[in-house]
Amino acid sequence: MPDTLQMLATITVIALATFATRVLPFLCFGSREPPAMLSTIEKNLPPMILLLLVIYCLKDVQWFLAPYGIPELFTIGIVAGLHLWKRNAMLSIFAGTGLYMALVQFNVFSFL
Amino acid sequence: MTEKEVKRYETREGDRDLFLSALKTTVPVFLGYIPLGMAFGFLMDGAGYHWIYAFLMSLLIYAGAGQFLAVALLAAGAGLPEFVIATLLLNLRHAFYGLSLLDKFSDIGKVKPYLIFALTDETYALLTTAEVPAGGSKARFYFYISALDHFYWVAGSVLGAGLGSLLNLNLEGMAFVLTALFVVLTIEQYFNSSIRFPFVAAVGAGAASLILFSPENMLLISIILGTLILIAREKFGQRDTQLNEGIRQVKGIGQAHATAQPVQDSSQEEN
Repeated sequence: MPDTLQMLATITVIALATFATRVLPFLCFGSREPPAMLSTIEKNLPPMILLLLVIYCLKDVQWFLAPYGIPELFTIGIVAGLHLWKRNAMLSIFAGTGLYMALVQFNVFSFL
Repeated sequence: MTEKEVKRYETREGDRDLFLSALKTTVPVFLGYIPLGMAFGFLMDGAGYHWIYAFLMSLLIYAGAGQFLAVALLAAGAGLPEFVIATLLLNLRHAFYGLSLLDKFSDIGKVKPYLIFALTDETYALLTTAEVPAGGSKARFYFYISALDHFYWVAGSVLGAGLGSLLNLNLEGMAFVLTALFVVLTIEQYFNSSIRFPFVAAVGAGAASLILFSPENMLLISIILGTLILIAREKFGQRDTQLNEGIRQVKGIGQAHATAQPVQDSSQEEN
């Protein structure tokens, strides 16, 4: 079955390529002491990447078409406000997701 | 119970607590990975592939965007080199995740290869933010978080490929749970660290890549851009401190980690 073999080969190749990207820094700096610059990067990367992931989640929003990303920005505002107020992760996440699902499923901003 | 038995009982108890704690930490990822995994499974099913392929891809590749891209490339009849290049470029951001986990993973033991394999956006976000419960083993806690997330993704894919066409659930908007998770984790990072500049770098790099580049390339480019901004600030913003650090290093005083500390402090004063 060449098709099955080809599919398995493709999956293997993608899996190896993905793992390569993940293991790369550990191979480079696994045995020797990383350069001093890296330890500063190490501390600064997580907060930067987390905020970039938030921005990445908004990558497909159509800012110039109705509803102009308002459901997303509005819900993010609610999630952030709720979290700053209560500091309860589960509450902020679930209330926000429920709200967003209601907003898009009932098309609340259709008047825009 | 003998002393040995008590000890074993206690570790088992502690282990269960650690697992439950990891379970609680990963609930948002569960809610995000099930619909996203289902979307992938559904896509594979729609493209005419047996569910076993959706299962294998989620188990062995385990990269959300990468797998969606793979379906598109399969449909386009791409060759193996195209798969390799596209996958490397799309997932290169993972290299930056590892870069900031070198220290955290340095004493992690035999689960390290698996933790590296299972490093997705969401797992990275959890590992860099979640506190290991007091008295618990870091290696076990990280392993539980990684394995649970992996399991959710595989379960979602199989569910989508097997039942996707039968179920008629309206999950529209449910993937927003991951956006909300990242928002909450960003706020937690903001409170947990006294450094503010990474957030400025993120807004600058994120906005620039969102405007200038296509959505698919935006994340990798913004991470590279942001890292360059961090390095530039480090290099040129505190040249004097760096110079002093350099002299101290040449004299052999202090390790790489110790020398990084004063640089960190000076950046805090500025903010």
